[in-house]
Formats: sequence, C-alpha cells, structure tokens
Amino acid sequence: MSETRSEKVFVSAVTVLLILLSALALIPLLSVVATSLSSKSVVDMNLVTIWPKQLTLDSWRYIIDRPDLWRSFALTLGSTLIGTVLALLMTALLAYPLSKPEFRWGGVVMIGVVVAMIFKAPIVPYFLTLRGLGLYNNPLVLIVPHVLNPFNLIIMRTFFKQFSKELEEAAFLEGCGYFRMLFQFVLPLSKAVLATLALFYGVVLWNQFQHPLLFLQNPDWFPLQIKIRQFITDDNVIMSGAVSSADLNYNERTLRAVTVIFAIIPIVAAYPFLQKYFVKGAMIGSVKG
Amino acid sequence: MKVYWPLYAMAIPGIVFLILFKYIPLAGAVIAFKDYSVFKGFVDSPWVGFKHFETLIHHPDFARVFGNTLMLGLLKIVLVFPVPVLLALMINEIRKSALKKGVQTALYIPHFLSWVIVSGIVFDFFSLSGLFNVVLGWFGHEPVLAMQESGYFRIIYVITSIWRDAGWGTVVYMAAISAIDPQLYESAMIDGASKVRQIRHITFPLLLPTVLVLFLLEIGNFLDLGFDQVFNLLTPMTYSAGDILDTYVFRTGIQQAQYSFATAVGLFQSVVGFILVFVFNRLSRKVSDGGLW
Repeated sequence: MSETRSEKVFVSAVTVLLILLSALALIPLLSVVATSLSSKSVVDMNLVTIWPKQLTLDSWRYIIDRPDLWRSFALTLGSTLIGTVLALLMTALLAYPLSKPEFRWGGVVMIGVVVAMIFKAPIVPYFLTLRGLGLYNNPLVLIVPHVLNPFNLIIMRTFFKQFSKELEEAAFLEGCGYFRMLFQFVLPLSKAVLATLALFYGVVLWNQFQHPLLFLQNPDWFPLQIKIRQFITDDNVIMSGAVSSADLNYNERTLRAVTVIFAIIPIVAAYPFLQKYFVKGAMIGSVKG
Repeated sequence: MKVYWPLYAMAIPGIVFLILFKYIPLAGAVIAFKDYSVFKGFVDSPWVGFKHFETLIHHPDFARVFGNTLMLGLLKIVLVFPVPVLLALMINEIRKSALKKGVQTALYIPHFLSWVIVSGIVFDFFSLSGLFNVVLGWFGHEPVLAMQESGYFRIIYVITSIWRDAGWGTVVYMAAISAIDPQLYESAMIDGASKVRQIRHITFPLLLPTVLVLFLLEIGNFLDLGFDQVFNLLTPMTYSAGDILDTYVFRTGIQQAQYSFATAVGLFQSVVGFILVFVFNRLSRKVSDGGLW
C-alpha cells in the first residue's frame, strides 16, 4: 500500500514542524553554552546568540577552581547515589510482601499507601514533623525523606506480581526463605523496574530544592541546586574571590552560564545510558489500563 | 513448611516510614484548627475552631494569592496539558527511527533539569543582553526586562512549563500508542482511510482513556502548581501576578512562623484538590468507563 501524495505532504509537514520544535527546545541551552564560552566584552555588547564569540575558557577556569562548588557537587552526588540505593532497597522490601497474597496485612497497607499518595500533607505540619525528627539542619534530610515514594512502590509491586508461582514454590521446597527469595531471585530478575525507579529516584534526589531550602541553614551543607540558586540571584556570591582587574575575561553572566552547564553535565552524561528505560518505565508506570 | 514472619519483618521499615513521613504530617494538619505553639506541640495546643480559616478569607492577600493560583492552574490545564498529546500524535507519524529518536531526545532533555537550572537559563535568556533581547534588537525593538515585569509572568510560566515537561509528557502517550493493534490501521488503509482520518478515528479515541487518567491527576493537582518552579521564577516585582498559595505559605508559614495560619491555607489547598479529583472522577466515569478508581 503506497502512500498518496497528500499523505506524503502531511508526514513531511509534521516532520519539519517537529524538527523546528526540537531546535526551539535546544536553543536556550545552546545560548547558555555559547555565553559560558564567550569573553566578557562580546557578552556585554549583546553579540552572543547561539555560537560562542571570542572563545575563552576563563569563566570555566574560575568556576572549576572554586572549592565551595565542588563541595556541593560531591555532597549532591553522594546523597544521590546513597539515596537511590537506599530507596530501591526500602521500596523493594515493602513492595515484595505487598505482592504476596499470603501477606495478611496486604490489603490494609495498600490502602495506606494509596491514601499517602493522594493526600499531600500541608507543608507546615510536614516541616514541623521533620524538624521534630531531628532533620532540621541535618544533611540526612537530603536522603531520608526520599527513600520511599508511594507511586514508585506501586509500580514495583505491580512488577513483582507477574513472577511465576512455580519458580517460587520450587525454591521454597529447597528450603529458601522469603529474604533469600527476594534478593537472589526476584531482584536479579527485576532489572528493568529497578533501572526505571533508579532513574525516577535519582532525578528527584539530584534536583531537590525545596527540602534543603526548608531545612538546611548551614552553608556547608548546601547541595548543588541551592548553591546555584545563590549564584543566579546574588552577584556577590558568584563573584566572591574573583580578582577584579580590567583584563578580566569573565563577568557575572558568563559565570552564571558556566554554573548552569556545570550542573547539567552529569545528567546529560547519564542520559544515553538511561534512555532505553524511559519507555519501559512508562509501560510499567501505566498501572491501570 | 513456609514461615511467614519474614514477610512481616520486611514490611516494617516501609510502614514505619509511611507513618513518620506521611501520616504524622497529615494528622499534624489539625493545627489549622488550633493555635499551635512550638512548646505544646500538635496534641496539646488549644483548639480554636475555624478562626484561621476566617482570618484567611478576610485576609487582603488571600484574594490576590488565590486568584493567581486559579489563573495559573487554569492556564496550565488549557494551554499546557494538551501539548504532549499533540506532540505524541505528531512524533508517531515520523517513520525514520533515527530522526524520531533525535526529536525525542531534544524534547526530553529539558525535563531532567531542575527548576533552579531552568530559571537560571530563563533569567539569562530574558536578561538585557540575553538572546531574547538580542533578537528583539534585530527587529528594532527596545529591550524588555521580562522577568521583572508582572505582565510577563504568566506567559513565562506557561512557556517554561511546556519547554521543560511537554516532551517528557509524551512518553506515556507514546507507550499507549505503541500498544494499539496495528491491524486496525491495516484495515483502515484497505478501506481507504487517510492519515488524518486514521489519527482521528483510531489513534486519538484509543489514546483518550490515558489522556483522561492523566487529566484527572492534573486536576487533582490543580492548586498545586509546583513550588520549585514558581519560587525560582518569581522576583519581588512579579509577586502581583506570580505569588501563589505555595510560595505564600512558604513565606508566611515557614519564614514568619505563622504555623497555624499557613496550615489553614495548605489544608484549604489540599481539600479543594481532593474535591476536584472526586468530582471529575465521577464525571469521567459517566462519560466513559475510565477513571482513577
């Protein structure tokens, strides 16, 4: 069945439109990259669009030399990695019993999970509770509140439910318990869902802003997002330590551009490895229907 | 012989987490009906009934903040929500798989950037020497400081929402489209149905249940616009158009420690959200058999 002429026109028009939209989506990013690589004078004269002019790495050198930024980076990377592993463990530990009919509390706990997903506590009692738990001004607040997400829990439970009973029964006859079952058989067979949820948890942990804003006062514990927010809003913070001289090849704007790109690099670097899980994740995620 | 206790042991950490981090804060919302004092705590602070809700309704800030929240919520439903549906229908028409992947990557990437990063890019884009004003300059326009003018806040909110999340929103729709039986298209083609008719009579109707479920979730979050986004895009000059319940609660509740009052605002927000989900779920079950429950 060959396509008619008007069909071809239609498909080409859609394709061209999408290419334009993709370009449009990338232009703001390109513009920031260009700014970060251009010299102060051309940036000040509004000459930079999406290509760098008077290419210089001075802004990058200045940012890379800042120990406070690296500290935030290390803290964010560490809490993201530890948090993601803990979150997968916590989620699996509850999702597994919930996928078993012989777990008698299952029904009640499931209702509890769904209610926790639908009703969001107002931010003030949430803040007061976490402060009561000792998480105020405590860097653990970057990890602990994120280690279990009801929505992700439901995704994992749905995935666990599809495992065949026969395999489990055979293992149980050999004297295998539930813990060994989960860690030696179920989890190794669940790589797709683990990767998807690692992505969901990882992005939340890396990008978190509200929790550190609410709970962390000590600048030593500021994660990357808070640090960058300061750089974006405060000229003094971003320029602190900069040598002021006339032949300086950077200014607030080029430095800001660098910090923005700096925080994106890990995500863009991880993207190709994660891409294949997106669609799978969406399939598992469409719990209903 | 199976022993069941390990199942119960496994469940305990998760249950404890849900109680500590979800249920105690939820129960703590009672302080909206109390005069909360830090020393007395959730339980022992004195009851004051609807006092804080009355203050709230008569408060001069409330009309402005609630109005802004409704306005942005409405814009989000009307202008932002349909975009991923249209994008998914369009992406589905691309035949060359390399091109398809490229387009998807370009549209997905902004979703992985935090709102702090997005706001950094947006502030740069609209700054005096940013790309926006460079392009305006080509057409002989005077530069505009869009981030400092309240007239621009809503449009910036809508555009940034689309830029960051519309591409990502297509993932679920693409998954739903890929589940459609190809035989339907084959028989439609035999009957001579055009591309546009196939989209209208096959793809779109079969996508509708998914659209409906996501619409319900969106409605449930109607007043919950995303603290990170608005907080990071807001400047004191744009409060009149952009200050919403979330940012208002943050300032009054946390920064000025008006705990009970701000909880009343938050509770109001949650209850309205819940009622909206409930009503629309009813409606959607009448219209079709889709729904959240």
